[in-house]
Amino acid sequence: MNQTNLPFSSPIGRRGLFRAGGITATALVLAACGKSEVGPVGRVGQGAPTPELEPEVINDGVLLRTMAGLETSIANAYAHILESGALAASSATFPDLGDQSDLVTLFVPHHSNAAVRFNELAVAAGSEAWECGNERLDSAFIDMLFERVENGAPATDVALAIEPSDDATRDMINLVHTLESLSAESCQAMVQAVTDITLRSEFMAVGVRSARQSALIALKINPGGYLISAATQAANDAPAEETTTTVDESEGAAAPPSTEIPLPVAVPSQFGLLSPLVFIGGRGDENGVRLKLSFETPSLNSLAYPFESCDA
Amino acid sequence: MDIEVTESGQSAAPHTVGRRALLGVGAGGAALSLLPFLRGHAAAAADPAPPKKPTTDDVALLGEAQQLELTAVALYDVAIGAGGWSDTEATAMVFMREAHEAYAQALSGLLGRAAPGQRSEKLFKALQASFTGSPADMLESAALLESSAVATHTEVLAALESIDGSKLVASIFINEARFSTVLADLAGMTDTSDLLVDTEQPSLVGQG
Repeated sequence: MNQTNLPFSSPIGRRGLFRAGGITATALVLAACGKSEVGPVGRVGQGAPTPELEPEVINDGVLLRTMAGLETSIANAYAHILESGALAASSATFPDLGDQSDLVTLFVPHHSNAAVRFNELAVAAGSEAWECGNERLDSAFIDMLFERVENGAPATDVALAIEPSDDATRDMINLVHTLESLSAESCQAMVQAVTDITLRSEFMAVGVRSARQSALIALKINPGGYLISAATQAANDAPAEETTTTVDESEGAAAPPSTEIPLPVAVPSQFGLLSPLVFIGGRGDENGVRLKLSFETPSLNSLAYPFESCDA
Repeated sequence: MDIEVTESGQSAAPHTVGRRALLGVGAGGAALSLLPFLRGHAAAAADPAPPKKPTTDDVALLGEAQQLELTAVALYDVAIGAGGWSDTEATAMVFMREAHEAYAQALSGLLGRAAPGQRSEKLFKALQASFTGSPADMLESAALLESSAVATHTEVLAALESIDGSKLVASIFINEARFSTVLADLAGMTDTSDLLVDTEQPSLVGQG
């Protein structure tokens, strides 16, 4: 019997290395193939075409429908506010405000009548009437605001729950001021947008009244707040102060202050504004940050296009 | 040159398409592709956009609006000069005087050399007497003037054609509407119908 002199742990030769590598690779391929599943067999043919957006026609009828919806939204919002009874309650922020329910009740027919008139004009312009509120304004602003003020916000993975508003009366009367200003601004914005020049006076007849209602409600909230003060103007023009995200979490530390809510004034500028209207309200979150919404005049994402309807 | 087209099935019989037919199809396709463009122009022709710059008629109307604003500046000057104002009242009166001056300047910017640049003497003399007396009386007179300004500009707006002119006039009188509410409040009026000016004062168009 022949015996080799090679030790038991002899180094692997080149041939052995190739052999081991080949076996490993084959094993990997077989392992990979072993767990694969057979998918459906590819098919040849034509599927449904990619749906295309309807053409965004913007004409006088669309603008009138949009304004009818906006005014309806405002009237609906006031109905909700009056039904909630928030205006009849006392306000810690505005102790001298008093019950403004009668005044806001007086505002309702102005907006509902405006909606009717705009719809009449829309039909005369060849469009269909828009009998419901403006969907964008309702869903992204008014409904959200009511939810936050009345019910707060639930906790999420990254934020604690927020309680209902600390002063619902304050928030509701500030909303009335914001919506009156929005109506005035929107009517003013339509003057330059319509092609039928006879419609300009129709819009401004509503806008003038809304502007006065805005001024009056501002004076109810902020008696003597006739004009934007020089100090406020300077603060608005000044660059933002440096901010910090550092929070004192030590035991007994004071809670961070809530976002300040600016007081409205009857005449916020020298000329009629078209700029966004900022509403700040609700209870502050764990960092003191209140709900902040920028209400804007109707634009491409809030127009009542011909392919849209209240039923949809 | 003729092109032979071969089809299968029922219409398998070969037929030819002539050059003329091919050109016709091409022209038809081009017309179809241009349809949206042409339709847009047809719509524009039926409902043309208003002119951007003031027309000749607009210039006369905007000139009248400017004269009203300059008359208001002069009337506020008379009232402010009379004295007796509280700080709050004085601040409001000065603000409104400056606002009317800014409106007149903005109209000047739009009208250029065609701007009258001067008040209406006839209107000033007619209203001057009401801008004397107690501060409350003058505030009430100023509130009525602002209401007249709203009515005047509403009438001007209804007749304007240009976008620039109507845009400016709208931005002016929507604020003058607020002025009337502020002045009524400053004058001590508490009736909501007065504060919201349920009854607008007559227009001053043609009275200058």
